[in-house]
Amino acid sequence: MARMPSTPLRMILAVIITSVVSASSLAFTYQLTRDRIMEQERLAREEALREVLPQADEFVEVEDEDTLTTAQDAAGETPVEGLFDAGNGAFGVLVAPRGYGGPMRMVIGVDRDGKVTGVSIVTQNETPGLGTKIMTEPGFLDQFAGWDASDIDGAAGGFDAISGATRSSNGVRAGVLAAGHVWAALSGEGGGAER
Amino acid sequence: MREWIAVFRRGLAVDNPLTVLMIGLCATLAVSTKFEGALFMGMAVMFVLTMSSTIIAALRDFIPEKVRIPVFIVVIASFVTIVDLTMHAFIPTVYTFLGVWIPLIVVNCIILGRAEGFAYHNRVHLAVADGLGMGLGFAFVIVLLATIREFVGSGEIVFLGSTLVRLGDWYRGPGIALLFPGAFIIFGFMVAGAKWLNGRLESRRIQAEACATREASA
Repeated sequence: MARMPSTPLRMILAVIITSVVSASSLAFTYQLTRDRIMEQERLAREEALREVLPQADEFVEVEDEDTLTTAQDAAGETPVEGLFDAGNGAFGVLVAPRGYGGPMRMVIGVDRDGKVTGVSIVTQNETPGLGTKIMTEPGFLDQFAGWDASDIDGAAGGFDAISGATRSSNGVRAGVLAAGHVWAALSGEGGGAER
Repeated sequence: MREWIAVFRRGLAVDNPLTVLMIGLCATLAVSTKFEGALFMGMAVMFVLTMSSTIIAALRDFIPEKVRIPVFIVVIASFVTIVDLTMHAFIPTVYTFLGVWIPLIVVNCIILGRAEGFAYHNRVHLAVADGLGMGLGFAFVIVLLATIREFVGSGEIVFLGSTLVRLGDWYRGPGIALLFPGAFIIFGFMVAGAKWLNGRLESRRIQAEACATREASA
């Protein structure tokens, strides 16, 4: 069969038909995978929250727009992707500061007294063997535990970066600072994270 | 059948997309730091390449020449999105590692190049052979490169959370193997190896042909 000539009508039809078929096949795939994808994301987040706030019974995502806006304003340039109320005035902040290889998403727990309880990296794209030391280097993530969120900039003075992974280390530090600022802003507004 | 095998084999050796044609190198060098990531990247490219080549070859008479590139892109992007969603749902750790490189398969030169250069001008069964051969050639090289880089750089090879091979704690790998310069150096050796191998294959073929002509004339 000869190739179809490029008349305007045929060109339009070819593109429209291809697009419609591909859009419907994508909608179908999306339907099939949507629940699993959401479940996977929830699990990853839950696991990270559990790691930094082991005592909490459950985590309730804060959905109040004003609270989230306040949090984002306090965090400055670091994106705040989620806020989770762990009960008892403690909460987890999901932030995404920039590392060497793009944003690193991490959960930082802060307890009711404003002490950082821990940092857990959810996703990162750092250089394997160098930047990824932020997760494997003994003591690196532990050093953030106990930082005082009400004076987070003061606490950050005693920070030790990993040599060879300075930008990744500083990224984690920026995340913790952002979480501290979020805590300070929210607790100033009337104690802990609001629902 | 003979033609099919000939087309299929070309992607593996003499026209290998990575070591001979040298297209699609950007993603290759970027994701070849881990065996596991490279394996799934190779499979993803193979799937997208074979499927899009098949569809494009099947529709080649209905795609007017002037709009062929938009149609190719739509077809390729659909398959890439299918891979993207599936990986996200079933192998989240690999998906996180590959990150932006999965959606970027859409603009990978290998796939658009094969669609434009081969599938659009050939019958469906040959396009399938080309897609499979090129895909397998790509997968083989990227997996080999990643295996070398991960093993030399970190002294172990991990697959889906379980360690396959591990050197002891005494091993301190040269970190450069995991960085871009290391990728270029190791890849350079692989290109040299492929050149040597293809040269030998070629000389053997010429010899065989010479023998055949001599016997025929004798």
